[in-house]
Amino acid sequence: MSFFNWAWDWVTTDANWHGSGSIPQQLLAHLGYSILPLLIAALIGVPAGVAIGHRGGKRAVVVINVANAWRAIPTLGLLILLAVFLGFSALTWLVPLVVLAIPPILVNSYEGVVAVDPSVKDAAAGMGMTPWQQVTRVEIPNAIPLILVGLRTSAIFVVATATIAAYIGLGGLGRFIIDGLASDQYGPVAGGALLVVLLAVLVLALFAGLSRLVVPAGLRKQAKTE
Amino acid sequence: MMWSWIPENASLIWQLTRENLYLGVVPALIGLAIALPLGIIAARWRWFYPPVLAAVNILYAIPSLALFIALIPAFGLTDTTVVIALTVFSLCVILPNVVAGLRGVPAAVTQAATAMGYGPLRRLMTVELPLAVPVIIAGLRVGVVSGISLASLGQLIGVSSLGYLFIDGLQRSFPTEIYVGLFLVIVLALVCDLILVAIRRALTPWAAAQPERRQRRLRQLTEVTP
Amino acid sequence: MITFEAVTKRYPDGTVAVDELDLEVPAGKTMVLVGPSGCGKTTSLRMINRLVEPTEGTILLDGTDIKARNPALLRRGIGYVIQQTGLFPHRTVEDNIATVPVLTGWPRKKARGRARELLALVGLDPALARRYPYQLSGGQQQRVGVARALAADPPVLLMDEPFSAVDPLVRASLQDQLLSLQAELQKTIVLVTHDIEEAIKVGDLVALFRPHGKLAQVAPPERLLAAPADDYVAGFVGFDRGIRRLSFVSTAGLDLDSGAVLPAEATVTQALDAGRPWICVTEAGHPRGWVDTAALATLPGGTPLGQVAAEPIGHPFTVGRDSLRAALDAAVLSPAGQAVAVDEAGGVLGVAAFDQLRSAIQHGAIQHGAIQREAAQAPDGPRGQETREVQHAQEGPVP
Repeated sequence: MSFFNWAWDWVTTDANWHGSGSIPQQLLAHLGYSILPLLIAALIGVPAGVAIGHRGGKRAVVVINVANAWRAIPTLGLLILLAVFLGFSALTWLVPLVVLAIPPILVNSYEGVVAVDPSVKDAAAGMGMTPWQQVTRVEIPNAIPLILVGLRTSAIFVVATATIAAYIGLGGLGRFIIDGLASDQYGPVAGGALLVVLLAVLVLALFAGLSRLVVPAGLRKQAKTE
Repeated sequence: MMWSWIPENASLIWQLTRENLYLGVVPALIGLAIALPLGIIAARWRWFYPPVLAAVNILYAIPSLALFIALIPAFGLTDTTVVIALTVFSLCVILPNVVAGLRGVPAAVTQAATAMGYGPLRRLMTVELPLAVPVIIAGLRVGVVSGISLASLGQLIGVSSLGYLFIDGLQRSFPTEIYVGLFLVIVLALVCDLILVAIRRALTPWAAAQPERRQRRLRQLTEVTP
Repeated sequence: MITFEAVTKRYPDGTVAVDELDLEVPAGKTMVLVGPSGCGKTTSLRMINRLVEPTEGTILLDGTDIKARNPALLRRGIGYVIQQTGLFPHRTVEDNIATVPVLTGWPRKKARGRARELLALVGLDPALARRYPYQLSGGQQQRVGVARALAADPPVLLMDEPFSAVDPLVRASLQDQLLSLQAELQKTIVLVTHDIEEAIKVGDLVALFRPHGKLAQVAPPERLLAAPADDYVAGFVGFDRGIRRLSFVSTAGLDLDSGAVLPAEATVTQALDAGRPWICVTEAGHPRGWVDTAALATLPGGTPLGQVAAEPIGHPFTVGRDSLRAALDAAVLSPAGQAVAVDEAGGVLGVAAFDQLRSAIQHGAIQHGAIQREAAQAPDGPRGQETREVQHAQEGPVP
């Protein structure tokens, strides 16, 4: 039996859709574990990345290197550490996922702003825009494609990694995986994994749609002709 | 924090570290080996890249843990499963950078090389690839650093790595183990990162005093920036 | 009016970009800053709108120290045009142009209306308003850049190598557009270029920089050509400055020979009777070709000149509008060694042989000498105030 057989059998079993710990329930929990960290990371990472990109200079390169090194932090380890000290508080799962989500958002927001044509930035300053106006009216709109890439990457990471929250006893799609592994039942393991993949692909599709809405028209068309 | 635990279990710690290192670095290198030819083709024949990129985007969305799981029926609960899954991840991270790096070589340079009588292969090996090194290594860094961190997740499906220290530490409510695990994963990843930076410096002596400005613009051309 | 008082720009690593610059840009005139790479001209320009801050010295705009003003507000009153245009890729052409008016509080609709006016002013089709910059050609983008700088009707315009990135044909057209705009609007313009020809064509005053930020000479373009302050200036201006200086001498009073002009209907006999080595054949008053009278001897006397093989005219020059340099060039190009003079409508007035041109040149040379003597007594400093004057009224009939 292949992975898909196992997963399909399990997902199509009606029983799994009802009762406590059912698929819809865990799906909802999983979304909760995913959306909140992403929002927080975005609220921190986008302004920080944009500000550092706007300032520029040698310090910026240092900060970006730190953000890249940040990826070294193992989410599982951090999660477990917080579980030992904080038990079942919200911070236990929030902090590791926010830590995970920040680097792609921060780095891509920075890259997005830095990649704006220097002559465009010079013109914006030379025409009399205050730094705030330069950032909000010129740099951010032009950086949106890359900012979105960062948000999308983080969203996928977070959706994927929220599964391990189950390891310390929380819900989410990881519940099926962890419980299945513990009881040697490959069905829920495969099924849970498949659902996570589908969720991640859904995120991809959502972002594709979002980009169509949010990216300024002039840039969108320009990217097509490149 | 029980310091004595460390020397007492030195051989275990060392073994786990070696395994984690293997599981983090080898997939990245294999990913590089696959990404290079693919990237070279994609940079040269433009029509090839969009479908490849779409495939890469979707593969990238597949959470590594889910991929571990999906590969279990085929490869069992072994190292191979983790290596293959992380190779896919590394490929997704490195390929866009190979393409961006090669495309970012100024057209004037490649034309001059051709005009001086360099055949395509020689030009690729001695002009284009060396100039693309900084961007490619940037991708490799992310692949290695993230890979070392993700490898610890393999412990969830029983594949031995430093993740063992997290899980065992949780089960025994023994923070020392968790600290050691966290510390080692992070340090391991950072050391590898620094080694790669040193390799980049050694391979690109001409870039010594120059800011990474040019590299920024290349990333604008690619869709996926990890 | 813009005044530089002992302005210096020194960078932390020690390089001096601008070295104690004293310069005065008169209101309503075009001052061109020209010089080799790294001479500090762009830095000087960017100090006017405080994109670069001087290390020492003061810059005054209409008597007020620009340091006292808020940079953003200062810049909204100064138009800024750069070589790569810096058009905002995420906005349409009209929104680009409307940027500063909107910044200063205009309602968007009003600003867009103004944008369309400006599109017409710079010679662009108003239909381009809704397009995006990437859809425009290089020349069109540059014009939009100029329109954008003029949108809030600033009294001062700063231009940093605005035409260097386009091809020579487009560049000439843009320069002409600038000249006609300036005739209409009379802004205080400071323009930076590395092209001395552009400086001479476009400037009322030219400030030539030496390497490392020191001024070599400030003078109206004609004086720069006639009396360069030293060898460096002479070298920068170019070796044929004597001939180029002729472009400031008008052809208004030039003596013309109308006897060498005959219509196509005239006969060979009439041509031979005219007693000229070459005849300019016209058709409906317009020049058609040159006929060598030596070749006419073998032809039957009644043959109309229109049927005789003729050499091309080259190009004629318009009396009064074109300069002596254009006339000289026409003569050099002509197989007859004579230039064909036409009026504004293109009708032939007569021809000018080298003799007549030589007299006019000598007359110009006398004035050239006068300028040199004047310059020797009062060398051009930073306050070289004379505006560009065409010698038109001073030229009487050439002896």
